[in-house]
Amino acid sequence: MRHQLRICFLLLILTCRAIAAVEFDLEPKIPPGYQPVDANTEKGIWAELHDYEREIQNSALLVTDREINQYVRNAACRVAGDYCSDLRIYIIRNPYFNASMTANGVMQVWTGLLVRVSSEDELAAILGHELAHYTQLHTLERMRSLKNSMSTGAVFDLGLALLTGVSVPVGQFAAVLNVLAYSREQEQEADLLGIKFMAAAGYDPSATIRVWKAVIEEEENAAVKNRAPGIFSKTHPGADERVEILESFVPQQYTNLTPDPQGRQKHVDMLNRYYMMLMEDQIDTNRHGRTEAMLRNHQAIGVDSNLINFFWGEMYRQRNLEGDLDKARKSYKLATRGDKPVAEAYRNLGYIHLKERSLPEAKHYFRKFLEVQPDADDRAMIEFYLQEKQP
Amino acid sequence: MNKVLFSIILSLSTVACMPAYVAVAPGNINYDGLIIKTDQAWNLAPTISTPSARKGSKVWTQDGILLDRIMIIPAVADGESLFTTTSKDQALPAFKADMLPNEIEELTESSLVKLFKEGEVVVQTSNLRPHRFGEHNGLLFDMNVAVSDGPNYRGITGALVVDKKLYLIFFLGAEPYYYRKHIDEALVIIKGARV
Repeated sequence: MRHQLRICFLLLILTCRAIAAVEFDLEPKIPPGYQPVDANTEKGIWAELHDYEREIQNSALLVTDREINQYVRNAACRVAGDYCSDLRIYIIRNPYFNASMTANGVMQVWTGLLVRVSSEDELAAILGHELAHYTQLHTLERMRSLKNSMSTGAVFDLGLALLTGVSVPVGQFAAVLNVLAYSREQEQEADLLGIKFMAAAGYDPSATIRVWKAVIEEEENAAVKNRAPGIFSKTHPGADERVEILESFVPQQYTNLTPDPQGRQKHVDMLNRYYMMLMEDQIDTNRHGRTEAMLRNHQAIGVDSNLINFFWGEMYRQRNLEGDLDKARKSYKLATRGDKPVAEAYRNLGYIHLKERSLPEAKHYFRKFLEVQPDADDRAMIEFYLQEKQP
Repeated sequence: MNKVLFSIILSLSTVACMPAYVAVAPGNINYDGLIIKTDQAWNLAPTISTPSARKGSKVWTQDGILLDRIMIIPAVADGESLFTTTSKDQALPAFKADMLPNEIEELTESSLVKLFKEGEVVVQTSNLRPHRFGEHNGLLFDMNVAVSDGPNYRGITGALVVDKKLYLIFFLGAEPYYYRKHIDEALVIIKGARV
């Protein structure tokens, strides 16, 4: 037994040393302004990706609002330095936690990621990781692996599915599994080089650890664990494994680790501005445990309490377990405090009273709703209830 | 010559195996107590083309279900979902007999997100308003469905609850052409539904 423990201890030390060595040795494989050189595979992939990028540009799920794009782009460019002009960043409206990178510099950031990270430092951790995939030519390596194990026609779609987190055709799963082990190594390389990028840009490298701890907390809160492709999938190391590795070397390599308060405030400002859109999409997923974890985090980082309370109300009302309606009522009331009440909280308080057959109270809140939001698109429905004599 | 003959036989045998769309003639049709009146002929989609449709649901189309569809979902009992799924991950929301109009709107929105594939669609509803379906109060609302790799859809839903059962019909048409082409007839069908 003692002998086995000694071997484990030695292996642990060797692993840590190996990680530290990898971190110091890692350098980008390509220079800024890189263009494809391999005529057989690489140029073909770039051409295909060009068409894919056009599809993204025309996608109905592309978030085009200037301020949110500028926020993400500024962080990406700070991390990327001289590689900034190589990147094209697209924010995609998708409530799940993911980002992806292609060989030609197309970076996709899902809105579900923006609502889960707590600061610009944490956003930079993910962006640095994606940038590392680009500078290490990981896409090309993976495409080549796939090409060797599959017919050429299927390679591109499948490769994209792997890289972007979109579902993989069932019939081709065996071939995909063959390259997954390799991609886990690439993920670890991207983690380590990503940290190097973000640290060089002046971001707090320990933010990477916080990102994965938040991922673990959300998973623990989830009633249905995530089995979908994406950052949680088997193509990526588990969050537990990541935290363990990162905690073993980030504090050793980087001293004076302090989160940037301005970076947190910038992120909170962005969340406050887009919170209704971001959290409505999350509520639509009907995954209440995950929503709870996110709301607790948003409370901790200082997102507008009225907005948070409104979505606590939404979560309780839609979950509708015993006692939830009372909790929803309390949350909605909290969401109407101060000089910036959430108008929809009044409306939903009205609906709760209507459900409880207390029509005068329902009408009181419906009137408040229309006062605050006279141009509400559901005004006709509210006026119908205001004219009701009995619920 | 042999190749041509082989191709024809293969094509015919493939067509013979394909499930057929069935014509729906103009007139009154009763689906599980939900009476629909249509002034024009529609095509009833085979169940294999609509695997998420619950038992008793019907899907009508003019130009193909990817371009336009009217989905008729009659008699959803308390605790049942608008669609079916074999995936445990999907967490389909269930209808509750005491749901108010805003909750039926949310139920539809959330169910459509699951139907189209979570994470690859944004469903937005608006203009919730009352509507009288014969002798019963009900509701109407508009919908926009943005799909990651398909067209934008626009549509309308009509719903009413009678004897604790939900009766719901929605129309979705690809923007702009197919929505405009069929919205008038869809409105006649949805607004004219009776239980």
